[in-house]
Amino acid sequence: MIRLQATPPNNVDDAVAMLQAAAGIEFGTLPPYLYAKFSILPGTNAPASERLTDVINQEMIHLCLVCNIINALGGSPELKPPSYPCTLGDVGPPGGDPLMIRLLPFDPSAMAQGMAIEEPEEVPPFPMLKSMAQGGGAMTIGQYYALVDAFLATLPASAWTAGRNQISDAQFFPGQLFPVGNYSDAHEAISQIVSEGEGAKDDPLDFQNELAHYYRFGEIFHDKVLTKMAEDPGYRWGPNALGVDWSSAYPAIADPGQHDFSRDSAAAQAAQDSCNTAYSGMVDALQRAVNGETGQLGAAVRKMFELRMAAVAALQVPLADGKSVAGPSFVYTSGSGAC
Amino acid sequence: MSVLDTPRLYFTGQMVWDPIVTNNYGPDPTQKPPFPGFYDEAACIPLPPGDSVANFRRRAIEFVDPANWNPHGTHRSNFLARISGADTGSGLDRSDPVVGTPADFLGMLVDAEPYGTFSSQLFFDEMQFGIDGGYRITCPRTFRVMSRYVYFNRNSHNTVKAGIASVIWQTSFPKDCGLRLDAHDSPALQALASALEDEDVAGLTVRWNTYRTIYYDDPEIVTNSGGQLSIDAQALVAKLNIPDSFQPNPARSLMIGVVGLWRKGEPACEPGDRALLAQGTPFKQPVGTAFARVTGGALVVDFGNSVREIDAEVSKQPLGTLSVCAMSADGSTVVEELGSIPYPQYDRDSYLSTSGLVTLPLDPSQCDIAVSSPLRIGSGSDIYLVEPVVAPSNRLLRPAVMTQQNIYMDEGDSPVSTGVQILDTGYATTSGIEVNRYSFDDSSGDVAPVDSALTDSNGIAWFDIAAASGGAVHCYLFTVGADAAQPATLDPQTTSYVYVRTLPSDAEIAAMEPTWENVFNNVLAKWNAMAPCMDNWLWLNDPAQVHAYGGILKKLTAAGAFETYRYMPVVRDMTPGERTLLYAFLDAPLDPDSKPFRAALAEAAPRLPESTRLSRAMRA
Repeated sequence: MIRLQATPPNNVDDAVAMLQAAAGIEFGTLPPYLYAKFSILPGTNAPASERLTDVINQEMIHLCLVCNIINALGGSPELKPPSYPCTLGDVGPPGGDPLMIRLLPFDPSAMAQGMAIEEPEEVPPFPMLKSMAQGGGAMTIGQYYALVDAFLATLPASAWTAGRNQISDAQFFPGQLFPVGNYSDAHEAISQIVSEGEGAKDDPLDFQNELAHYYRFGEIFHDKVLTKMAEDPGYRWGPNALGVDWSSAYPAIADPGQHDFSRDSAAAQAAQDSCNTAYSGMVDALQRAVNGETGQLGAAVRKMFELRMAAVAALQVPLADGKSVAGPSFVYTSGSGAC
Repeated sequence: MSVLDTPRLYFTGQMVWDPIVTNNYGPDPTQKPPFPGFYDEAACIPLPPGDSVANFRRRAIEFVDPANWNPHGTHRSNFLARISGADTGSGLDRSDPVVGTPADFLGMLVDAEPYGTFSSQLFFDEMQFGIDGGYRITCPRTFRVMSRYVYFNRNSHNTVKAGIASVIWQTSFPKDCGLRLDAHDSPALQALASALEDEDVAGLTVRWNTYRTIYYDDPEIVTNSGGQLSIDAQALVAKLNIPDSFQPNPARSLMIGVVGLWRKGEPACEPGDRALLAQGTPFKQPVGTAFARVTGGALVVDFGNSVREIDAEVSKQPLGTLSVCAMSADGSTVVEELGSIPYPQYDRDSYLSTSGLVTLPLDPSQCDIAVSSPLRIGSGSDIYLVEPVVAPSNRLLRPAVMTQQNIYMDEGDSPVSTGVQILDTGYATTSGIEVNRYSFDDSSGDVAPVDSALTDSNGIAWFDIAAASGGAVHCYLFTVGADAAQPATLDPQTTSYVYVRTLPSDAEIAAMEPTWENVFNNVLAKWNAMAPCMDNWLWLNDPAQVHAYGGILKKLTAAGAFETYRYMPVVRDMTPGERTLLYAFLDAPLDPDSKPFRAALAEAAPRLPESTRLSRAMRA
């Protein structure tokens, strides 16, 4: 799991800073999840691809919801594209190394990484939360959000500005994305984010009775459908297989951002350039969208489709070794906006 | 058994609609100046012919205000819904563990007749209730979802575009075609699974009703003439004019639905059982057609599409206490009042709880009467719903199209046979009943007799449907009984009908040289123009991309893929000649000199005259 170091927020600026870090994590999970999905051969692994798509869509929604909270508190969301591999702020377990998040093609290690990112831990009841708030320390994403949520609950109504730079579900993600104008909305958003990622307490299902991210990755990793059973603990892996074919994936290298493309063909370099251009354009448009610029979410989505097409093309260009290919490096190159 | 029997599941939520509606607008020479339109539904070509892609896209955006509300649509339409209750015979049960699980559906909304409002349908691959590994019903598609019984007077508060209307959607899933139930410890699912083993049960039917549709995600827009609609439309235009952006503008409806048993002899894609028809002026009836069945010692009435909404809170119109009467054989006089339905049993809370199904308990003698007597529902002196009686036999017969409400043909195809099931007190009738077919011209409103057929031993009358010469859209209406009156018009509340769309063969296009210029101008340009959402997936104006994705394109456009969710073009207007020319181009080596046809937005043109704008607003 990702463990974040945090101290209790003392004021709105602290809370906004924590939410900004949370937005960075939501945003930062997208490239590794997309890299795995892009690398599935077209027409194969439909159940796995479907689950990854659901997770990716929900991460995008989470990002927008966090930005909505930041905006409602008077902040200005900043998207900071990471360079992979990176920790996304993970401090690691006591005495251990932080989780290094990589761009991995569709294989068991990529799914294990997804499980590691989304791994749940029981959200503590309020007294424990209060104790944590006093002392601070390392915590899971769910606990981190709970800490922010507890502080937000203390804010007066005047701390919130309804309708400020909000992204609604009018165009995209109907029924799942909503404006934040007060604490109740923010609490609903945080509950949705945590439950969709980690599941409800002691339950693999989220608050909408659908499978949380950790378990969706688990189904792919185990190649088993998580199935309800009458006895404790209520669910089991299988017996039905999900239908994963690990061999039906492009032979994509891991962490293309660390690969030296100067030794590869001009076509491979051009393909990476196309990917980075589309990705950077998407980041720039998204940055403008989450800061209230009308129509820019539509521009970001368009760039997202361009990135998908550029990735499909890149994954068909052999690298110099003649046997492997590279998906998008997710290198931000615009220099004009987000960073 | 039917959805009015138990066991059944209820679901509620919203439905999202994201169609491109540009092809809804044909030419109108009566306008001053004449309106050139956007699409010729008979010829399957964009209008005016020869218009460039860029110019067409620009005009489509300009026409957002007043009418063309979603030029960047995708046609995708989906549920945002959950199972809200179950009934295994003991009334509403919200404690069943399947309650609260998601109802998932994703389909493509396509009008068989692009200009019309009576032929909407949903192409899809699978519907699912519940989740993988948990409580679940998985329903792979056998039949499209069809719209029926459109009620154009449903919402007195929200009259914007289709907001005034409600629609019944239905499809059915044969139990031997991949239908799967994972009941676990859900009594409701266990009961459904057990009932499916009954010889009389053909599978499951899913019926839902969509109502109170809003546009621009703005429930405050409730009329077609309000200033806010224009303000929101102009805001959309501004977004659509952002280069290289994708700006869908989906509409949304509220919805209720039911999952129940599909009985042998019932139509798959429209309600079976007994129909209590709406009364009054066509399109303005005060209550929409309902369906009824005597079952389990009660009369169950489906009011899902019947009682109007009257305010922003979507309150149901109080009609007083409704009286349900059994009538004399000819329907003229009341024999017995079977019971009454007070407002709390059809108000909004009740509607949401049981998806519009109202159960009226009957004693055994009342059941005997209700089974065979015409039914009537009214309040005081107002008569709202009447079960039709076919004279002179005084039988309770009605026609229902079996499975093919919308038929697609290519010019030159052999005739196809479509079956009209005649229901007698809600059950399949026997042989020898006369069924009449009429043609309906929805541009002139003319109705004319075509032919008649007698029912076979299954109570089905079969009619040959011939392909038209050239492209055309035809509509046929059906009545039952030798003395049946000719319908005055197509009123979807009271009329049984089918639409037939014949695509022209376009033999001259098939014979063209498979050059990029010919393929783009005669095949791809119209979808490049009318479906900007395709830019997200494939540059239809780029010969290299089109050629590189040739294998996928052939798979998606194959005639055999017509019923699938991903079939291209979504609007199902690829003619045989277009397919031949496209495939010839894809199968040949790409000419390296082929160049993309750019489709950048052209400069804005003068706005339409106000009279045209206002007139067109009514056609959205």
